[in-house]
Amino acid sequence: MKRYDLIVVGAGPSGLSAAIEAARQGLSVIVFDENEKPGGQLFKQIHKFFGSKEHKAKIRGYQIGRELLAEADKVGVQVKLNTTVIGMYQDKEITVCIEENVRHYKGDSIIIATGAAENMVTFEGWTLPGVIGAGAAQTLMNLHGVKPGAKILMLGSGNVGLVVSFQLMQCGCEVVALVDAAPTIGGYGVHAAKVARCGVPFYLSHTITKAEGKDHVTGVVISEVDNNFQPIPGTEKHFDVDTICVAVGLSPMSQLLKMAGCKMEDHPRRGGEVPVVDAYGETSISGVFAAGDVSGIEEASSAMIEGRMAGVCAATYLGFCEKEEKEEILSGLSKDLDSLRQGMFAPKNRGKNIDKTEEGIAVSDNLLQKGYIADDEIERYPGVTDKKGIHPVIECSQNIPCNPCQDACSRKCIKIGKKMTSLPSINDEAECSGCGMCVASCSGQAIFLVKEDDEEGYATVTLPYEFLPLPQKGEKGVALSRSGKKCCEAEIVEIRNVPAFDHTSLLTMKVPIDMVKTARFFQASQKGGDRYG
Amino acid sequence: MDKVNDRFRDIGAFTPLADDDMLICRCEEITKGEIRKAVHEGMYTMTEIRRYLRCGMGLCQGQTCAKLVKGIVVRELGVLPTELEPATSRVPMRPVEMRVLAKEEGRC
Amino acid sequence: MQNTAQVIIIGGGIIGCATAYYLAKKAISVIVLEGSDHIGNGGSSRNGGGVRQSGRDPRELPMVTWGIKNLWPYLTEELGVDVEYTQKGNLRLGKTPNHLNILQRLTDRSAACGLDVKMIDGDEVRQINPYLSKEVIGASWCPTDGHANPLTATLGFYKKARELGVRFITGEPVIELKKVKGKLRKIITSHYTYEGEQVLVAAGYESRAITAAVGIDIPMQAVKMECLVTEAEPYMFEQMLGTAEADFYGHQSKHGSFVFGGSTGLETYNKDNGKQISTSLGASCTCRGIIGYFPALSDAKIVRAWAGYIDECADKIPVISQVEEVPGLYVACGFTGHGFGIAPGAAYNIAEIISEGTPTVDMRAFRYDRFQAKI
Repeated sequence: MKRYDLIVVGAGPSGLSAAIEAARQGLSVIVFDENEKPGGQLFKQIHKFFGSKEHKAKIRGYQIGRELLAEADKVGVQVKLNTTVIGMYQDKEITVCIEENVRHYKGDSIIIATGAAENMVTFEGWTLPGVIGAGAAQTLMNLHGVKPGAKILMLGSGNVGLVVSFQLMQCGCEVVALVDAAPTIGGYGVHAAKVARCGVPFYLSHTITKAEGKDHVTGVVISEVDNNFQPIPGTEKHFDVDTICVAVGLSPMSQLLKMAGCKMEDHPRRGGEVPVVDAYGETSISGVFAAGDVSGIEEASSAMIEGRMAGVCAATYLGFCEKEEKEEILSGLSKDLDSLRQGMFAPKNRGKNIDKTEEGIAVSDNLLQKGYIADDEIERYPGVTDKKGIHPVIECSQNIPCNPCQDACSRKCIKIGKKMTSLPSINDEAECSGCGMCVASCSGQAIFLVKEDDEEGYATVTLPYEFLPLPQKGEKGVALSRSGKKCCEAEIVEIRNVPAFDHTSLLTMKVPIDMVKTARFFQASQKGGDRYG
Repeated sequence: MDKVNDRFRDIGAFTPLADDDMLICRCEEITKGEIRKAVHEGMYTMTEIRRYLRCGMGLCQGQTCAKLVKGIVVRELGVLPTELEPATSRVPMRPVEMRVLAKEEGRC
Repeated sequence: MQNTAQVIIIGGGIIGCATAYYLAKKAISVIVLEGSDHIGNGGSSRNGGGVRQSGRDPRELPMVTWGIKNLWPYLTEELGVDVEYTQKGNLRLGKTPNHLNILQRLTDRSAACGLDVKMIDGDEVRQINPYLSKEVIGASWCPTDGHANPLTATLGFYKKARELGVRFITGEPVIELKKVKGKLRKIITSHYTYEGEQVLVAAGYESRAITAAVGIDIPMQAVKMECLVTEAEPYMFEQMLGTAEADFYGHQSKHGSFVFGGSTGLETYNKDNGKQISTSLGASCTCRGIIGYFPALSDAKIVRAWAGYIDECADKIPVISQVEEVPGLYVACGFTGHGFGIAPGAAYNIAEIISEGTPTVDMRAFRYDRFQAKI
């Protein structure tokens, strides 16, 4: 019977992080993953991550995945792909399907990092082909290069729904609407803003009442809902779609832990059935740990830290690491994890009605209900200022643990300070060079460069642009406002693309000066083919 | 195990609803109405519902429908979701051909 | 809450539920106490679904045959639940001359009691079931055997008994039985005390610890067995199958999935963690057993494997009896892994013993006081 110091099930961000940490401590580690590519959900994530430099902020998900893999390889972690762990038994034994047969393995310690699976919601017609999970759409697009559909309605305004809606548009799909039964948007305002300024309408307090079609989706009907989430007759709206994406939350895939006899609990806030674990992931069976989404739905950044915690605990459990060193490492990791769990979207604040930022500024109701900050709300925020000459305008209005913009500016124009969740503010003393690094570094694509006196009667607005084909210099089109409505004519004066921007192009457009506070997106004149360029 | 569950307690009568014909368990094609009726026939736990109707016994082993079935059952019973025990998880985590399961490599 | 009834039944498996049903039909008030959270959580929901007479200890034959003739064919209609009773025969297969010897002995023993069972050769076997491997050289064939769905049968008895007014309570493990002035009356759980005129202990292996409180011991051991099920397959055959050396046994259900059990040989030594947890060996071993007889099923996908305890009695047949020395006590347990097929018959007759004193079928072979030393 082949025995390892540590068996890790799942080669996603938490599994790989756990394996790396344990291997660094000297353990023999093997990681099993049922997929043909490692990295778990990371490889589908084409957007830049939030957080701080230590949390790998502003790096795209798939790049983080590549880095983890390289690190795992370097420290001698074995990763076995296309390998399904089909059962976990007593005595820390697992059986694994590998290359058409079954093998037994034992671990002195086991870390389960199997992640989570998408939830479904029922409505008339939900079983028609064309109703797919948002995560499934992401896999189709980003891993397999397949367009999920042409006209799509997204159900769910959490980060998954918002991020995938944007990616669907990047892929060339038309997102006809974004729907959520809740009265406010569940995900980050900046993710919603990216989608809203492309013209996608948000329907909060609405639900899908019917998916139409005989053997596949041909249309969808949504209705407004009352305080009991019941559809209100007479409020039906119809859309022609061929795809309905469902982003209604995730459930931990904790079956292996349950099978082995770990004490489980139904924890709604963590996503459902999770193992009962201590602060560092150890379950009720000593030597068996859980890390990442499987122990509670959060995100990749926290999953990586949880993985490392479990890894160092496993190492100490097996005598590879001294208690003092473990305490030191865990203390540092706990601080990291804690700094991620701050702000308006922190687990402890879930469900709370927050009407003011930490700075005492009123939150934008429009952002929460329509997906964009209204014109009469935008100037509340410290990142939005008036100035002569070129300067950044930061339309960031929620406290999230995120600060790449501060580091991006070599002239110290942007200030967040020690508290990562603080809203970015503009340093009036500093002089902006117009380099655009802040625009490209903002993972929320919420920073613009504005030059109010470029030419008599005109201003330029520089925005982050991640669509293909790229517009050309001199190209004429229209500028869209934060709400996605056409606000004026625009002309491209510059397109910039440098390696430091990491695939975010900077598009500078010329607009009438009275539009400088409203014009935030560009749409080319000729239609045909893609909608956004 | 500490929860005493009196199957004779009154949970109200079964009243048909407009969406009783909605499919809930896609793998085994079990409808909402069948699940609701089963509760009124005495099936008060997720395990009993599964054994009685087969929902959760298909290829996905309840991955898709478990939360949906649970929502329906708790509403019929008038209990909190956390009061309803979850079903057992078993090997294999994914369907496996007999010939693969039979080929136990390197067994001592 | 009324905690008294004429009869208190301890154990919510098929025996407990069916007995409750037959008593309720006679307008007798019943309370059923089930220790786990689910009705039918023991062997009742975990077995391979066989409803057979062949291969049994001859002492069981009169009761199981009576049940197959008088109860099984009518259960679906009677309970209002499809128990999927299928009476298309039982093939017990052999690949070697030694297997055939074993099967011949079993066949002769049952035939001597009047059962319609005979030995057939390999060609005749494949005429009945063309999917069997060419390596099969013979089998015992009993045309009146069959199979059913243990899950719906158990829950069907439960549903119907509940409709007739039986009060079922789960999550109520029994701590102590208590006699009052010489008669067994009280059942004490960690929550309440229940009282009845008669008490039936039908709790599988757990019966032993329960009856100890009143000085009764039923010699049993708990043996963990394992089964598995495939996804739905196109219809192949309707017989119940087994083998001479218990490599596997099983059938194809109405749903199309195949349900099979097997044995590793280590069953008596299996440990658990408090739950009926599978071993890492069982499923693979059973698959090898199946493929050895059914190459056609090699690509069938297994979706689930489970384990369960059988209550193995010292002489391998159940105890179904009034316990006269403890007035008010009745016992029905120790079905040793073949309780499903015989359950309706057993339940019907123990219900008769409880209510009228005399059963339809001669039950003396199942008495609680039959266990003697060998010398």
